[in-house]
Amino acid sequence: MGLWPFAGAHLSLGESASEALRNLRAQGQRSALALLGILIGAASIVAVLTVGHMAQQETLKMFRHLGVDMLNIHAMPSDSATTGVLDRATIEHLPASDPSVVAAAPLINDHETVSAGGRTATVAVAAVTEAFPRLMTIPMRQGRFIQSIDADSLVAVVGAGAAEKLSSPGAPVAPGARIALKGYVFTVIGVSGPVPFTPLDALEINDAVLVPLGGARRVFDPPEPTSALVRLRPGTDLDAAGRRISSALANPTATLQVIKARDVIKSMNAQKVIHGQLLTAVGAISLLVGGIGVMNVMLMGVMERRREIGLRAAIGATPADLGLMFLIEAAVLAFVGGMAGLACGLLAALVTAKVSGWGFSVALWVLPLGPGVATLVGVAFGLYPALKAARLNPIEALRAG
Amino acid sequence: MTHAILEVVGLEKTYGSSARPTPVLRGVTFTIDAGSFCAILGPSGSGKSTLMNIVGLLDQPTAGSVLLAGERVDPGSAVAAARARNRLIGFVFQSFNLLPRLTAWENVALPLLYARTPRGQRKPLALTMLEQVGLTDRADHRPAALSGGQQQRVALARALICGPRLVLADEPTGSLDSVTAGEVIALLRDLNQRLGVTVLMVTHDRDLAGRCDRRIEMLDGRIVADETA
Repeated sequence: MGLWPFAGAHLSLGESASEALRNLRAQGQRSALALLGILIGAASIVAVLTVGHMAQQETLKMFRHLGVDMLNIHAMPSDSATTGVLDRATIEHLPASDPSVVAAAPLINDHETVSAGGRTATVAVAAVTEAFPRLMTIPMRQGRFIQSIDADSLVAVVGAGAAEKLSSPGAPVAPGARIALKGYVFTVIGVSGPVPFTPLDALEINDAVLVPLGGARRVFDPPEPTSALVRLRPGTDLDAAGRRISSALANPTATLQVIKARDVIKSMNAQKVIHGQLLTAVGAISLLVGGIGVMNVMLMGVMERRREIGLRAAIGATPADLGLMFLIEAAVLAFVGGMAGLACGLLAALVTAKVSGWGFSVALWVLPLGPGVATLVGVAFGLYPALKAARLNPIEALRAG
Repeated sequence: MTHAILEVVGLEKTYGSSARPTPVLRGVTFTIDAGSFCAILGPSGSGKSTLMNIVGLLDQPTAGSVLLAGERVDPGSAVAAARARNRLIGFVFQSFNLLPRLTAWENVALPLLYARTPRGQRKPLALTMLEQVGLTDRADHRPAALSGGQQQRVALARALICGPRLVLADEPTGSLDSVTAGEVIALLRDLNQRLGVTVLMVTHDRDLAGRCDRRIEMLDGRIVADETA
């Protein structure tokens, strides 16, 4: 008998598979235990791939929401100053002075105590200009956003979350309502709808009160922008543009920090990749353990079924038939584990999606992969027991107790 | 008009190392005519089982040759031997060797699996064979639900389903009480006459051997007596 005795088999694959299922059911509990490792392995692989796929979809969604060509220039205080500031006029002149800039908006961002009616809350307070909506999509639920006519008036736009915090029964925060901030009374002109917060955003609009930058001196000290949001023309070299804009905005008070949207998304993805690698490692180890489990079950099966092997040999099974019988049993066992793993993996991905607030989506190519990898593992680890069955001496096998 | 179904010429089998060889068969030659019912007798260690294994193409002789229905099967090819066993030989064992998780008819049909008989034809063939051994009403029983005699009859049906030229029965009644043993031998004899299949049976039982056409007696790896009734 050669090293590869499977060349002379003559049973159909479907028939062998149904025979295999039957034999495995006869082994019951032991088969189930071997399945567990395969199941966990296949499940983690399916979960990794599906979660990865969903994360990619979410990233794409975020790209669509924000665009990747955003810069956030933040003024950190330099050694000689206590507060770093930017020059508002220079920021607003950027679209005209730099051909790669589509829009630019100055921003002051802090936290303050705000009260309305009987309620008081500490929320983000930001001073912005009418240019701000060109850089961040802000859906308005009620009223309007800050416009150029507001100049230095005592008006405010309240984010959905902040409005909820400040509203009391009978005194909702809505256009016309009044809110107190640093001893001044601001009239609410608009309430924004809920905006998904991403790590890219300069501030969480939901939880903020926005006032016109023209009147910022009432609230902020110094009343000068601390950040500039810049949208660049698609395809612009972000590094070069970042350097150019930094030098345009450079002043002795500040050390400028340039945050690029693309970098933030990249680092978010890198984090996911690390998580993915960990889960893949878990999956690989589980599959290995599962494979050894399959080998163990099959070896015990070969030992226990020696008489059957001898009998089958006597009635005409070739070594190939016998080897293939056990190989297919191992493959079927692993396939069943792989199918169960697919179900568990998708369930885990569904839970991940629910917890992360992502949309659940499955890449179709993942579906055959879980059971496929599991079956491959089954075949790989079933090979040795199958060879053992094929090489059994029929006379000794028949004599076995 | 008789012709030989089995020709055994100068068969030798030696176990052990070449330094300390243990000869088990020392030149066995005989011929069995088609359709005969033949017993092989002898004490344990006389070489009966080894002879049966070599004739049954489960073992290879050290020297000599076996011709089955005029064919000489290449003793070196496991595949050729398996095919020849499936086609030409039916085995009956002392311990029946039925697969416990298969029903009676499925056990009978098992050799058809390796004969590449289409799936749909197997059950009717198996049921016909069960009818021949008088177990039609037990077709869907598992071996555990059958008596010893019934199990051996299922095993007989299995041995005959591929239409073998030669049935090799190794102590077929060794696990049965004497009444049941008599019934099984009567059935075997009946099938031998009705189907014309040649039977070669190893037995300890001189009574049973007495019912055979021919008795070959072995001792120490040689044939010491060969009488035809």
